[in-house]
Amino acid sequence: MLNFLIRRLAIALLTLLLITFVVYGLIRNTPGNPLTQELSRLDPGKVMKPEDFERLNKIYGLDKPWYVAYGTWLGNLAQFDLGRSFSRKRPVVDLITERMYPTLLLSISSLCITYLLAIPLGLFASARSGKVDERISSTLLYMLYSFPSFVAALFLQLYFAVRLGWLPLFGMVSDNHEHMSSWEQTVDLFRHALLPVTCYTYGSLAYYSRFIRANMHEVLRQDYIRTARAKGLGPIRVLVRHAFRNTLIPLVTLMGLTLPALLSGSIIIEQIFTWPGMGRLYFESIRERDYPTIMGLTLMFSVLTLAGQLLADFMYAVVDPRVRLDDR
Amino acid sequence: MALPIENRKSKIENVKKSAGFWKETWRQFRRRRLGMAALIFVGALTVTAILSPAIVGTRPIVCQYKGHLYFPCMGYFNPRWENPIFQIDKFRKRYPESLKAKDPASWAVWPLNYNDPYRRVYDNEWPDRAGNPTRDQGRPNTLNWFGTDQRGVDVFAQMVHGTRVALLVGILSMGIAAAIGIVIGALAGYFGGWADFALSRLVELVLCIPTLVLILALLAIIEQATIWHIMAIIGATSWTSIARLTRGEFLRLKEMDFVAAARTTGLGELRIIFRYILPNALAPVLVPITFGIAGAILTESALSFLGFGAPPPNPSWGTLLSAGRSNYQMWWLIFYPGLAIFFTVLAYNLIGEGLQEATDPRLREGGRA
Repeated sequence: MLNFLIRRLAIALLTLLLITFVVYGLIRNTPGNPLTQELSRLDPGKVMKPEDFERLNKIYGLDKPWYVAYGTWLGNLAQFDLGRSFSRKRPVVDLITERMYPTLLLSISSLCITYLLAIPLGLFASARSGKVDERISSTLLYMLYSFPSFVAALFLQLYFAVRLGWLPLFGMVSDNHEHMSSWEQTVDLFRHALLPVTCYTYGSLAYYSRFIRANMHEVLRQDYIRTARAKGLGPIRVLVRHAFRNTLIPLVTLMGLTLPALLSGSIIIEQIFTWPGMGRLYFESIRERDYPTIMGLTLMFSVLTLAGQLLADFMYAVVDPRVRLDDR
Repeated sequence: MALPIENRKSKIENVKKSAGFWKETWRQFRRRRLGMAALIFVGALTVTAILSPAIVGTRPIVCQYKGHLYFPCMGYFNPRWENPIFQIDKFRKRYPESLKAKDPASWAVWPLNYNDPYRRVYDNEWPDRAGNPTRDQGRPNTLNWFGTDQRGVDVFAQMVHGTRVALLVGILSMGIAAAIGIVIGALAGYFGGWADFALSRLVELVLCIPTLVLILALLAIIEQATIWHIMAIIGATSWTSIARLTRGEFLRLKEMDFVAAARTTGLGELRIIFRYILPNALAPVLVPITFGIAGAILTESALSFLGFGAPPPNPSWGTLLSAGRSNYQMWWLIFYPGLAIFFTVLAYNLIGEGLQEATDPRLREGGRA
């Protein structure tokens, strides 16, 4: 077990180095740099003096070739320093933690709702497998799964915010949020979060319930299910206690793999609802050529993705005694 | 042993040949109503894409002008295919009046709907036809079935001509992705060892960076990205699942007897990989490719929606959506293209689902649904 962990960690570290190196090279070689990008946003007539340009280039470390700058970045990283954002003039770590809460608010509430609804839905689908009501609900769920989330976001905005006027169109809080009582603030936040959470949830709901159904399908054909039925247990008891428990393993693995998605947010959904989360930060930092922020976010997502994979494998072995990691 | 050769031969011929893999798959697929409906939908979409200039446009499908036959509608596929004579004669893209004025004996066959995907139709451009409304006035009506956008360009025309981009993106970028994924997966799975280790790191590299971020970064490098660049970039970033699956298949297949047999006859490695193992590994890979087509179409419209799509004159469903976002009162800019994207993605997903059930014997008995 320990051997396996050490080997996997070493490989993950190597992958991380590779990823950051490639991404650093990629972004440093895109046309435009933080300075030019910022200037073009301000006033096209306002041109920086060449000596100022030189000076700033030096301060930001843009005068060095990119692989040297990567080395510097890596050195700082070893001292747990992700650098300061060029365009926002703040430490990258602060920026990321600040943007993390809005994204977590959406993704965690969506995850809870998904699990709460997907498990009963999946069980229902496997209990009524092949019946008319199951086929209709499964087809509907599949259509929902195929519904692109950004199209759904726009449709929801059109109907609930524009047509009916029930919910705010975008943003995370109202303009007068600060003057509200704490109860009103909560309600305000809830009203703003309702549509984005719906967009996050419906697709994964369909995916998870299909996933559960497919796994149940596999398990229900096993001999021990027949045994349980034969000894006279009720259908619900067989379904929940005997079958469903055995489908928990793949479900746990799936949880590990969705770990990065919890924090990454969705660029496009956050953009549509102008939600100040991680996805938007990523999008904006690419547009602004804000190298330290891009690198910080890339590092974070890569670590999470790799950790999620490792966790999934690890959990698999913990939950299922049949799996031995050393054998690989 | 005792039978004479002729007799043995006839015996073999008498055995009914079992259906081949593809025939069997088709037989299984045909039984699935939703899958077939989706296949028909994609077929109809393809026909729409090919016939788009004949369905809606402002250039005649075929016309006789000064004694010669021309096909000006071909200009929608490629501006060079529109005969230069119409530019020399100063038609200024207004065919109905110019044809009549410059050659009274001319005749023309027109598209079903007179509207242009690139520009507004002006007053009396077509005899007695009012011009397209501009700004937020263009609700769907009898002239503009799906309404018009802010500039007065017909939405239906943009959607029909946008079908070309959508389908092309799906097929071309997935073709690229499939080529990359299959080659990388095959090499990693067949050679194993260090090749596998290095290629698996490459897969993880692409996997760990959010796809949209990677695409945006790559698009930033190419300053003036055309639709072809976008297709290539989508293809170059969406091959990981194909590679993983191909690798798995190769790991399994390379231990089989027929590979050992091929090796003993002294065939080259490449020949064994591509002629012997690959055809056997192709079936399971086909499913993620079909799902990938849906994904590629989605990515393209998302990029256009974010404003990173093909440059403006190219009509795209995603571009319409982003136009709708700047003015929510114009619901028709969001509603119709949104539905088009949804149904296309759904159709490809259903085909993929059907293929999965048709090629996986464990799922076969389920049938239908």
